[in-house]
Amino acid sequence: MFAEEPPGWSFDLGSSVTCERCGEEPASVHLLRVVDGAVAHTHLCPGCAEGMAEETEGLALVLAVPSVLRHLARASSAEETPTAEPAAEHMEDFCETCGTTLSDLKESGLVGCADCYERFADYLDTLRVPGAEPVEHLGKIPHRGPETDNLRHEMLRLQRMLRELVACERFEEAAGVRDRLTELGQRLEQETG
Amino acid sequence: MKPGAVTASALGLSRNESGRRFPHVEDGAVLEDLRAEVLDVLAGGQWDERWHVYDLEALSEVEVDHLVERGLMTPAFLDGEGEGRGFAVYGEGQASLEINGSDHVRVLGFRNGDQLESLWSLLNLLDDRLETVLSYAFDARWGYLLARARQAGSGMRAYATLLLPALMLTGRLAGVAVELVNQGLGMSPLWNGAGGVVQVSNIGPQGKPEAETLKQVSEVCAGIVEKERSVRKMLVRESLLQTRDQVGRALGVAQQAWSMSFLEAVNLISAIQAGRELGLVEGSGLSSESAFSLMTRLQPAHIVVDYMDGKIGCLESPEIDEKRARMMREIFADSGLRPQEKRDV
Repeated sequence: MFAEEPPGWSFDLGSSVTCERCGEEPASVHLLRVVDGAVAHTHLCPGCAEGMAEETEGLALVLAVPSVLRHLARASSAEETPTAEPAAEHMEDFCETCGTTLSDLKESGLVGCADCYERFADYLDTLRVPGAEPVEHLGKIPHRGPETDNLRHEMLRLQRMLRELVACERFEEAAGVRDRLTELGQRLEQETG
Repeated sequence: MKPGAVTASALGLSRNESGRRFPHVEDGAVLEDLRAEVLDVLAGGQWDERWHVYDLEALSEVEVDHLVERGLMTPAFLDGEGEGRGFAVYGEGQASLEINGSDHVRVLGFRNGDQLESLWSLLNLLDDRLETVLSYAFDARWGYLLARARQAGSGMRAYATLLLPALMLTGRLAGVAVELVNQGLGMSPLWNGAGGVVQVSNIGPQGKPEAETLKQVSEVCAGIVEKERSVRKMLVRESLLQTRDQVGRALGVAQQAWSMSFLEAVNLISAIQAGRELGLVEGSGLSSESAFSLMTRLQPAHIVVDYMDGKIGCLESPEIDEKRARMMREIFADSGLRPQEKRDV
């Protein structure tokens, strides 16, 4: 069966969460306490979480749920994309297909349609965890998709392979992969006109 | 991986149809149309097993909870609302399908034991067959497009259930959870944390090939279970009296109680399972998988449906607690705490 995802298990990395105990430090830990069968969820900073877990007489389970990610993402986006917020303030971005606004997306983490991915691509890019591999989609792809999807997917797969081969200093095999990539790139260019 | 590392496996595969807005913003009539189209597909002859379609409006509270307890329906879908929602079960419960939950369709599978790969094989096949009729929303860069933008990619969530009572009781679970987050994984308690039963799942970037994600989850879980085993042995080594006391008390209550809540039963089974694995308890071995299977059977809706012919219409009843206690007494009747000198850890 599937666990209920606890309150605060939001994938929206844009919202701000402060510690519910001290109200000052950013909350980076989710504390779940079970006392006499009752469950309490609290978002806390690491210092307060430690103190509260020690004070709890029943079971105390500290869960690193995405509030941790929120904190990390906020810190990294503050460093790397300092202009993202001011741009949004000037004019509210919205998707013409479904009416979802950038504020809606930031608040709920939900997009309303496939077109939102293009409309809010800049913002969605900021949600990616820096340095996470792979950035591109390398999993399954639809069988009924256009040929260009297959080509792009194969190229992404080969690009990843090329990076790994170079890292292992297997240059001869890497050259073969590079040639195949060039060939696929030309085919993709022809397909897309 | 050592056998028994993953106690139970679950997998979910989410997809949206291109050309329609996602369920939370789409018109009710469009969602109703989509449900009708999907149900038409399910009624077709291309499936190896028959799909059993449920009328969500007609299901009782007990019947819906039974589906959730069997791992056929997610709690999020149970709690959700909106138009055009539908639900179907494949064969005898090998898989299920949620229609118009967070996304247009979500195929689910749940099995006891370490079965993530076989679940992926089945769900991948069902997904292919659904795709012969549905045109999935997909982008070469983002992958399968989902309502939750951070989950776009493979659209796959893998869940591995683990029994970690020793890590929980010694407060070491927090460190494990933090390590998981750094690897793009998350940990969630299954039954409010009772018995140290938790689920590990992939929550990070979803671009990786599905097989790599499954391998990562399995390997990480094997490492966590090794830590759990080490801590259990440490407890016996360094706190033998307290450990024997805890396990002995759990056995005593399991053998003598006449009324028992589900969460209490989970705590007791978890302690007894740890005791058996450590050689503190007489009787045949109780694997974590068997212990979990027993916990599953003791859930409220399971007891009502499987042992009381569904006669009780609610899930909070003294009769359910009484029946659960009776089952525990019977199951653990011949178990006993092994004399200390015979302990073989």
